[in-house]
Amino acid sequence: MAQRVSRKIVITVALIVTGFAILFSVGLKGSLVYYLTVSEFLDPARQTDLGDNFRVNGTVEAGSIKRLEGAPGARFVMTDGARTLPVVYRKELPDTFVDGAETVVEGSLGPDGTFAASTLLAKCPSKYEAQNRKTGNYKKAADQDNPAGAQETGAAPR
Amino acid sequence: MADFGALCLFVALATSGWAVLASYNGWRARLGELVLSAERAVYATWALVFLAVLSLQYCIFTDQFDLEYVASYSNRALPRLYKFTALWGGQAGSLLFWLFILVSYASLIVLTNRRRNRSLMPLVVTTLMVVSTFFLGLVSFMSRPFVRLAFMPEDGNGLNPQLQNPFMAIHPPCLYLGYVGLTLPFAFAIAALATGRLDDTWFRTTRRWTILSWFFLGTGVLLGGWWAYVELGWGGYWAWDPVENASLIPWLTCTAFLHSVMIEERKKMLRVWNLSLVIMSFLLSILGTFITRSGVISSVHSFTKSDIGPVFAAFLGLCTLVSVGLLLYRVPMLQSEHRLDSFVSRESTFLFNNLLLVGAAFAVLWGTLFPILSEAVRGVKITVGPPFFNEVMVPIAFALVTLAGICPVIAWRRASALKLVEKIQVPFWALLGAVAALLLGGVRDVYAIVSFSLATFVIATTVMEFWWGTRSRQRVTGQNAGSAFLSLVDRNKRRYGGFVVHLGFILIVIGVTGSTAFKQESTASLRRGESFSVGRYRMVFEDMVSQEDANREFMGARLAVYDGQSRRGTLVPGQNFYKAGQNPSTEVDIRYTLRDDLYLILTGFDPQEGRATLKAYLNPLVNWIWIGGGVLILGAWFAMLPDIRDRRRDAEAKLREVESRAA
Repeated sequence: MAQRVSRKIVITVALIVTGFAILFSVGLKGSLVYYLTVSEFLDPARQTDLGDNFRVNGTVEAGSIKRLEGAPGARFVMTDGARTLPVVYRKELPDTFVDGAETVVEGSLGPDGTFAASTLLAKCPSKYEAQNRKTGNYKKAADQDNPAGAQETGAAPR
Repeated sequence: MADFGALCLFVALATSGWAVLASYNGWRARLGELVLSAERAVYATWALVFLAVLSLQYCIFTDQFDLEYVASYSNRALPRLYKFTALWGGQAGSLLFWLFILVSYASLIVLTNRRRNRSLMPLVVTTLMVVSTFFLGLVSFMSRPFVRLAFMPEDGNGLNPQLQNPFMAIHPPCLYLGYVGLTLPFAFAIAALATGRLDDTWFRTTRRWTILSWFFLGTGVLLGGWWAYVELGWGGYWAWDPVENASLIPWLTCTAFLHSVMIEERKKMLRVWNLSLVIMSFLLSILGTFITRSGVISSVHSFTKSDIGPVFAAFLGLCTLVSVGLLLYRVPMLQSEHRLDSFVSRESTFLFNNLLLVGAAFAVLWGTLFPILSEAVRGVKITVGPPFFNEVMVPIAFALVTLAGICPVIAWRRASALKLVEKIQVPFWALLGAVAALLLGGVRDVYAIVSFSLATFVIATTVMEFWWGTRSRQRVTGQNAGSAFLSLVDRNKRRYGGFVVHLGFILIVIGVTGSTAFKQESTASLRRGESFSVGRYRMVFEDMVSQEDANREFMGARLAVYDGQSRRGTLVPGQNFYKAGQNPSTEVDIRYTLRDDLYLILTGFDPQEGRATLKAYLNPLVNWIWIGGGVLILGAWFAMLPDIRDRRRDAEAKLREVESRAA
């Protein structure tokens, strides 16, 4: 086959592709984080080859949310049903962060055994579908998920 | 009404299935009547799905809470607007809505191609209706909107308060119109591959549809960013969340296609590549739905884990297999008629632009799917954080911006380097001027300097391009500058519309740079009369206020905003408490200016001490993202307007078809 494209183009394409490869490996290096459940995270045998940062998921233990005073954020306890992990988060909380919410935190374990989270994602307890079919009552199911509004948990201004 | 809706869907499943069979067999056996009956079945399917949508809306508006869907996503006190949007508030409804858009597009395609593209249409209909049948199967058997409960609840759960926002009325429909629209060029590509009629008909016919869905997808992404920006806890306008990524990836491949198709049009090159881009865009849009709906990847958006994941995966696999198989089968027919011979040519800049865009799409896809891949390979879930996306995407974005600046001034085929240097002179000085101005202005952030100066460069080349064009037109026709300019853009709508799109993109880059590089924040816990400040603003906490309507109760902190000594108004960040008993929702308050946004959040209030805890962000230049989006929309619309040349080409195509039929 005759030369279909000029050599300069081939070289540039090769350069771009190499650039991608470098960007990829450099970018990946610093941003890979293990995604673990609370029990996996507390397991002393957990892998640590990616640094101190971890992503941990679990649910917020009912009644454990204590809002920080005079600053955004809260202390709370996360659980996966088997083990529990105390967490502190010092930024403004999303509205979905309530008792029983499925939560993903990213951060590292502090010296006092509290997990210091730098990011927090929360998903509403899925009151919408599965649970209602079981309890058979919409209103009741909603109230259980959300005891007397979120005021008791302090997740809202009074 | 509910049973009627469910019945409509079942009948639609039959008509849609018939359309697939009749259309395919009609094509194989060359039976015109069968093809015609398939096309009528498309209309019938549309009507039936439309009736199903209407009956679901009717059930929502008449509070029929014995319907599971209505009970889950609506309640009595829900305002009308949100009752309307409850149609796509949940999974079953959003799949129905998706299906409705698909069959609407399909009907429009059938309608507009009654006398055109007759050789392609049977397989276009087949492809579209296979997708439609798949979605009909989903809403008829797996994720059913018309399921009844065993009892009648007094009231429904209401729509998730985070979704009770006017954006809910436009963001999802926009995104869906974009996602679903990608099915049209895909269907034409499949038909072209299967019939072997691989001339430029398939993309000419769908080009406007492709721009349209690209436009809707982009608008949807931007609106989603804006919504996430005003909604607390969604991580600002862009957080590299899997669901956000899922909408960005097909948009990137579609952008690549819109560029590279110009090469195919002029040079008959990159034909396999273009078909691959169209196929990829469609597959990625299905993958996007899969990511959004299956809950396999943790995201703030996916509220429910659902069982339709495997079915989607299977459908995705099937589509991939068929389209890749067809493409490989036809590769021998798709040889380029020309060669890419010059380095300094517009073709080669388009080639690089395509590499960058597809590379970007691949990077985002890789980062998004990484947890699944790592779990499959190593048995551990490893996630990829935003740093990866930023580190990869920022250099790519810079390279793309540079190309957007160079590309318009490079001629097709073989451009002379001398001419290029001449044309690029002014923009280059503008670039240096911008660097100097930024350094003198005290900007030391390297990314910001690179970004702003490249943006200046692109704006300069683009404006120059309008100017050169106008001047040469003036020379040819002797018109005055104004009418020369108007006739210039009127005659080349796609070209100059495209340039306007570039300008919009540059404004978005400027907004993103400003709001990430120069963001400021501050937190305070205040008693009445106390104040705190961020950047140029000082905020005085005046009092708590409350407000109540049928649906919710609002509580907020009233703050007076000062810029220096002059008062700039009042902001009231607060919280909404919904009467349907859902979680309260935080309502941020924002002072929008072109220079920066003051973004206030009330994070807590202690009535005993009378203290309000507040958080303030100063987001410089952030509004240029939305303004850029507006410019982009204008440019895209302008590019979609019919061109004189297009009309002539259409007429020629019609003539050719008539001749070939006569022959």
